Amino acid sequence: METQFLYSLIVSIFIGGLAGFLGSLMITKRMALVGDALGHVALPGVALALILGFNVSWGALPCLALGIFLIWFFEVKTKLPMEALTGIVFTSSVAIAFLFLPESEVSNALIGDISQITLADTLISIVVSMITFFVLKKIYSKMILLNLSENLAQVEGIKVKKYNFIYLACIAMVVALGIKVTGSLLMGALVITPAAAARNFAHSLSQYSYGALLIGTISCFLGVLAFKVFNLPAGPLIILFASLIFLISIAFKRR
Amino acid sequence: MKNNLILEVKNLNVELAKERVIESLDFSLREKEILVILGPNGAGKTVLLKTLLGLFNFKGSIYWKPKTHLGYVPEDFDVSENLPLSVKEFFNFKKSGTIKISQSLQRVGIKSSAKFLKKRLGTLSSGQLRRTLIAWVMVDNPHVILLDEPMVGIDIHGRKTIYDSLVKLWQKRNQSIILVSHEIGEVCKKADKILALNKTKLFYGKPEKVITSQNLAKIYGDTISL
Repeated sequence: METQFLYSLIVSIFIGGLAGFLGSLMITKRMALVGDALGHVALPGVALALILGFNVSWGALPCLALGIFLIWFFEVKTKLPMEALTGIVFTSSVAIAFLFLPESEVSNALIGDISQITLADTLISIVVSMITFFVLKKIYSKMILLNLSENLAQVEGIKVKKYNFIYLACIAMVVALGIKVTGSLLMGALVITPAAAARNFAHSLSQYSYGALLIGTISCFLGVLAFKVFNLPAGPLIILFASLIFLISIAFKRR
Repeated sequence: MKNNLILEVKNLNVELAKERVIESLDFSLREKEILVILGPNGAGKTVLLKTLLGLFNFKGSIYWKPKTHLGYVPEDFDVSENLPLSVKEFFNFKKSGTIKISQSLQRVGIKSSAKFLKKRLGTLSSGQLRRTLIAWVMVDNPHVILLDEPMVGIDIHGRKTIYDSLVKLWQKRNQSIILVSHEIGEVCKKADKILALNKTKLFYGKPEKVITSQNLAKIYGDTISL
């Protein structure tokens, strides 16, 4: 039981930190709600994984890839705003999932469950988190420059399509990992809240990005600890700790 | 003479949204030359720069000397006030060392202090941001710098001093310059060539030859003199 708890703690800390770090980029690019929407897109895969009994992250991933492809494809075909198309894809995904998601698994799918996690899953999650983190670290400054001025970035030799694709792949990866921790309903908060809080504390980009990473980590640590003590679901507790840190951060907001 | 040619544009045509924006344009640029592009609003000046930079599709030919490193100062460059990006971190995108950063900033009239480097980019005044951007583009010493209305937002006194110091530096470093402006004045006096544009070429040549009141009337539709 104790080892099991340690696995949960380690996995959530790694994923929480990674999600916070990614969130700092997503808020800058005004894509904060994309994490939330993708969390829902993943739901059919999550449902399938819960029924067949494998790690929900690996169920979520192909669903996310398909969802992102469909959003891109519809945009090319219809030229409708991306957010409208995202809305269509994510609600359809939720609808599909609820056709076959067993009632007993609803809560696991929506708010996550990290109480049962194997050593193999723990190791894989750590490795994937680390790889995704280093990829994000590598593209971070380029994404910020792209956000400041796409033309300037292009002249500096940054391939816009390539970097946007890598960035999107990282988002899909983080959402897939995060769903294990906070479920599809709360996944969005794992990227938004720590980064928003860090933005209030930060005076520089490194304080902002690593601050978000740290707040994500702390929220997960406290959330999983509280889950152990109070025997309440970990996902919501993690998000509430992140929200609490956000509230505290408001006092530090510089003008 | 041909071998110090750095850019040659022949019969350039650019269409945006099915509208012809630039028509059969020819001009060239040599090392150390300063080319000023004049024209009224909507003449296609910015489109021309972006086309030269490879950001738009075109017909005709644009020849850049191989391995030419380009720098670009875009016209619109705004930074959100609450983006926590410091001046130092902005320069770090180019991996420039502290000495180079302060040299580059000094050239645009900014005293580089630890305090300035820690400032958030978004909190700089528009003039300071403009100067910082010019310094940023110049910090890694591009062969050719394309500047789109670089002095917008910088006060009149600052414009002349910055421009004088930049011209000296460009000449020392053998840099070529393409500068877009909608105003005649300081920039034209130091130019080697002027290209006046309104979709197609209005006139092109050395400033002392082409800056005449008849020619200026072609751009601005009224009699103006320098």
